[in-house]
Amino acid sequence: MSDGDTNETRDPGAMTWHVAEDDLRAYVRGELAAPMLWSADTHLMACAHCRAVLAEVSDPVPLDEGWERLDAELDVPRPGFLESMLVRAGVADHTARLLAATPVLRRSWLSALVAVLFCTVIATSSAGAPDSPALFLALAPLLPLAGVALSYGPVLDPTYEMAVVSPMHGFRLLMIRTVPVLATALALNGLATLALPSYGLRALAWLLPALALTSTGLALTPRLGPVLAPSLVGGTWIAVLLIAQGTTSEGTLAPYTVAGQSVAAAVAVLAAGLFYLRRDRFDSTSAHTPFAGFTGYTDGGAA
Amino acid sequence: MSDLSSVPSAAPTVSAAGLTLRYGGTAALDDVSVRLGEGVTGLLGPNGAGKTTLLRVLATAVPPDKGAFTVLGNDPGTSAGRQEVRRALGYLPQAPGFHPDFSAFEFVDYVAILKELTDRTARHREVRRVLDAVALSDVRSKRIKKLSGGMRQRVALAAALVGDPGFLVLDEPTVGLDPEQRMRFRELIARAGEGRTVLLSTHQTEDVAMLCHRVIVMVRGRVRFEGTPAELTARAAGRVWSSTERDPGAWAGWRTGTGSFRNVGEPPEGADMVEPTLEDGYLLTLDGESSEVAPA
Repeated sequence: MSDGDTNETRDPGAMTWHVAEDDLRAYVRGELAAPMLWSADTHLMACAHCRAVLAEVSDPVPLDEGWERLDAELDVPRPGFLESMLVRAGVADHTARLLAATPVLRRSWLSALVAVLFCTVIATSSAGAPDSPALFLALAPLLPLAGVALSYGPVLDPTYEMAVVSPMHGFRLLMIRTVPVLATALALNGLATLALPSYGLRALAWLLPALALTSTGLALTPRLGPVLAPSLVGGTWIAVLLIAQGTTSEGTLAPYTVAGQSVAAAVAVLAAGLFYLRRDRFDSTSAHTPFAGFTGYTDGGAA
Repeated sequence: MSDLSSVPSAAPTVSAAGLTLRYGGTAALDDVSVRLGEGVTGLLGPNGAGKTTLLRVLATAVPPDKGAFTVLGNDPGTSAGRQEVRRALGYLPQAPGFHPDFSAFEFVDYVAILKELTDRTARHREVRRVLDAVALSDVRSKRIKKLSGGMRQRVALAAALVGDPGFLVLDEPTVGLDPEQRMRFRELIARAGEGRTVLLSTHQTEDVAMLCHRVIVMVRGRVRFEGTPAELTARAAGRVWSSTERDPGAWAGWRTGTGSFRNVGEPPEGADMVEPTLEDGYLLTLDGESSEVAPA
């Protein structure tokens, strides 16, 4: 391979051979095979003439592309734990990045959630309540509601104003954040339920109220705003429980009976429908107070 | 929209007519009509004049109660038009928020995603381009919370520039910057104004004098003046004089670096008249008597 492809030079003091142009082209393309590759490597270190030819035959565009690729590799942000997990699970990298910016999915928030659940479970188990884990059932539905409320809106999202005027539909951003927050909160609640095995399925009575509260909170947000809506819904839940407590002398509180659970399911479905119908309202901030909500552009033209 | 046709102009890129927005009882915007063209337009006015509200309305962050506007031919009153306006928009809010744990690169990347740049390679190339444009390439992997105020402001500008928007809305971007940072920032804005429409709200007449080819002065939710900086300066012609003591008859007066007093208002007989500046014109425009120029 080498003999026929090399050139002799007449200058005795200089190199005795030069790499053929075709080989240099192959070298640039990364297609030159060993052992010619090794000879060319060693030779290029010592021979200015061949380096000059190499520079000439190198197509500057692919070289630039090479640099750009390298630059891009160096730039690529190192995704955090959550983001890498999501990308590995098949979530598109841009969606994963939007999710990573969700404040309530940060470790500090998740730790707080786990701590609250842990204390509630301990308190519930040690209270020795005979029929149902009342404290746990009262609190568990509020956690997903709060998580969802805090995942989108001016309170915790510092880039809220920029997000609102971005072409990405507000509803889509809301869903990108809400679904994982809801899933996480429900999963943690589920794990906490496992820690109360003595109550059996009764300890799962938080699930339908949780869905009802969260979807009602979301459905009311366009009208009442991202602070008032969930606060009102949470307050109503506590009021319902207190009234039930006051009127039930013994046995299960109303929300945890079959009838109560059916009502919760119906509310969840209705509110979810309403929320979906109002999706275009999540498209601008309110003019009137920073926390009033999304009573802005109200046309329904978006697909 | 009917009012817009009567406005004589060589192809404005942004036109607004009769914008009105009330907060409770007060009108933050009271029948505001403006036309913007390519280049940097300065928006001057005292606190509470409605500058930020006008910017937020034009940036589609909040809809007006009354009135209409178009941005690059799109009507944000419809969902599809609003989407187009937002695609063409770069917005730097008054107090831009950041995710503090993001690096400069990650933050601009995040905004690029919000602007629908989903192709990773193309998006990262664009992020590098805008960070380079604001001279932040060297600190792109630093966390935002570790950057100085001036650098953060440049990160926010880079985020506004991502996707090469045709309409750039900058709300007091030079506030809180030291004089040197302000100069650098002005250069960036001047460059950003080449070939696009920039609306720059500021309370510094210096920003306007150095950057803007047009200026709008707002007072109490209304437009008091709309024209070129030279026209604003010309309003003070023959109404600025110098004196050794404060002139009690002046509408406003202040001590200059030389120790003498600079007065604006109606000069007394034999006053020592001086060349007016943009600042003088602005001060006089804030005076109630100047409202006759407010365009309908």
